Amino acid sequence: MESNLTNKYIELNMGPQHPSTHGVLRLKLTLDGETVKKVEPVIGYLHRNAEKICELDFYCDALIYFDRMDYVGAMNMELGYLEAAEKLLNIEPPERVKWIRVIMAELNRIASHLVWAGAFGLDLGMLTPFFYVFEEREKILNLFTEITGSRQETNYMSIGGVYQDFNDKIIFKIKEFLNEFPKKLDEVYNLFVKNDVFISRTKNIGILEPEVALSYGVTGPMLRASGIPYDVRKDEPYLVYDKINFTVPISKKKDVLARFIVRFEEMRQSVKIIQQALDKLPDGPFFNPKAKKSLMIRLRGEGDVYARTESTKGEFGVYIVGDGSVKPYRVHVRSPAFKNLSVLPYLSRDVLIADMVAISGSIDLVFGEVDR
Amino acid sequence: MSLLTRIAMILSFLGHYPSYILAYIIETLIVIIFGTVVVAGMVYFFRKYMARVQMRIGPNRVGKFGVLQVMADGLKLIQKESIMPQGRDDLPYKVAPLLIFIALMMGFIFIPYGPLAWLGTLTVTHSDVSLVILFALIAIMPIGELLSGIVSNNKYAVLGSLRGVAKDISFEVPMMLSVLAIVMMASARGVSPLDINGVVQAQNIPFAILEPLGFFVFLISMAARASYSPFDMGESDSELVTGNTTEYSGLRFGMFYLGLFGTIFLGSLILSTLYLGGYNGPFESYVGFIWLLIKTLVVVVISLTIWLSMPRVRIDKFVTFGWKYLLPISFINLVITGFIILGGIS
Repeated sequence: MESNLTNKYIELNMGPQHPSTHGVLRLKLTLDGETVKKVEPVIGYLHRNAEKICELDFYCDALIYFDRMDYVGAMNMELGYLEAAEKLLNIEPPERVKWIRVIMAELNRIASHLVWAGAFGLDLGMLTPFFYVFEEREKILNLFTEITGSRQETNYMSIGGVYQDFNDKIIFKIKEFLNEFPKKLDEVYNLFVKNDVFISRTKNIGILEPEVALSYGVTGPMLRASGIPYDVRKDEPYLVYDKINFTVPISKKKDVLARFIVRFEEMRQSVKIIQQALDKLPDGPFFNPKAKKSLMIRLRGEGDVYARTESTKGEFGVYIVGDGSVKPYRVHVRSPAFKNLSVLPYLSRDVLIADMVAISGSIDLVFGEVDR
Repeated sequence: MSLLTRIAMILSFLGHYPSYILAYIIETLIVIIFGTVVVAGMVYFFRKYMARVQMRIGPNRVGKFGVLQVMADGLKLIQKESIMPQGRDDLPYKVAPLLIFIALMMGFIFIPYGPLAWLGTLTVTHSDVSLVILFALIAIMPIGELLSGIVSNNKYAVLGSLRGVAKDISFEVPMMLSVLAIVMMASARGVSPLDINGVVQAQNIPFAILEPLGFFVFLISMAARASYSPFDMGESDSELVTGNTTEYSGLRFGMFYLGLFGTIFLGSLILSTLYLGGYNGPFESYVGFIWLLIKTLVVVVISLTIWLSMPRVRIDKFVTFGWKYLLPISFINLVITGFIILGGIS
């Protein structure tokens, strides 16, 4: 056993209450002066047993637990669950609902990436952009309030439909927001990228080789920043993504800056997607009559199904097993943030503490999802 | 007539020497109170300015437009229980914030404030070596920073103070070299060069125009001395909690906080005194004090804007910057100054 007296490394415990660990991540650092020798993430401080609780409720009730997983991008979580549950329960949502879901998911993707950009700025000691991005996010949340009645954990989508239909006023407001937004986005983008100090803090830091990323199961903007154009929306289209014209931004630079740029480019693509969806939004019912409220709790599913969607953090997979009763037998979640976090110890070998903070900031961690 | 003689004349019933000594003490107190009030005002101004930059409103509850917010915060900090870590080294732990605060407040005494209307010149100390004393006082502050970190029995604090000291070492040599260039310029004009008052009088043309390189080095050094973003490595508040001040609370924390803003103000004051012509203004220097304040305020606003728009520089990059760029630049500045003096431009 190694004696403490001969140990030349400092053990430092970062978190779970620490300004740079998003939520409740705890990092056990082994430091040689300022250099990080080893990082050991400790998770589970926000574990709420969401998967197990889903088994105790009807199929339609699990949504609220999914809302609270990635609370920054709640729409994408609902969507991920519904993709699986609707497949299992054999309920096809009407055409209009599919487009509405795309719009909401992409709006929420923008909001989530904005929050990430602000928090990432804070990690690097940049206070001001945080307020700029939150101003824009607030506009999206106000739209959500108007459409769904709630800001973050919306519980908007339901099996076979959505809670409320879009009306002309909402469509006008979303269009108005989308006209203003790219200008504001460029402003924030320039605030970061035209700053030499920011570039020096992010360029060539935390280089993630594509092979390593694949072997760790990294997905989402992290993977795309390493140069692999994998996006579930494109490769395995769900809802109506195959009818929408958009590109998957990638970067060959593989570093923290590349992740930043990829996320901002994704927001621009999301704007494009929403604009097309608003133009193509068909008329029709906003829920499947087979799944109206009185019938919803009687839905029975049998067999097992796995569905993947592209959430804000990466590939979000939901696996549901049904045993023919009104409650799911098992619900399992493939959490993209959890998989992405697993690459942090690899990226943070022999870097400075400041770089380690930048790298962990670039992963986009939301602990509701990692711990579930 | 200076303020000192004016006060001494009022007190002349005490006899010659006692009246002068008392007048000196009173004037020192005035300047220290001025310093404290200005720093408190600056905290308010900073919070308002920061709020406007960040599209917020800022303090607006306590007093009209929230002007008393700083006072309320100060009272709160005084009332608070001072939570002290176990295993600390008690005396240095308590001395460290005082060291920073006292050195800062004493720094205000050596600035020539210039004349203000009928009050006369406000300069407190007419020392032949005031420049040396001023920078000696500034050099005390890193000691407080280092002490506060290593005695609080906290790993974050140790790392923070080590970063702080690494930063201090790398900018202080270039800073002193750029001050040396000023001393050269001043001595070429035949004033006593180590007296700040002399340096101010030597600036028919502000030194910032004659020595842009030195001005640049000094501006960065003063920003690094005050340790605001991008140079807040000692604090590093998203990496090391709050660095060397992690274990401080209550009034002691308040001292560090005031120390930060006070250093920004003192730094701006020194910058405008040494490089921007101090109390010299376009009109007859009847209101020199006002000129000095205006210049200082401009520098303060520039500093705050830098603070609000920059991420933190990584410590190793700053050390590299200090030794590889700032130091050669300040040497080049010295050489250029030599040529300027030889050419007789001054």
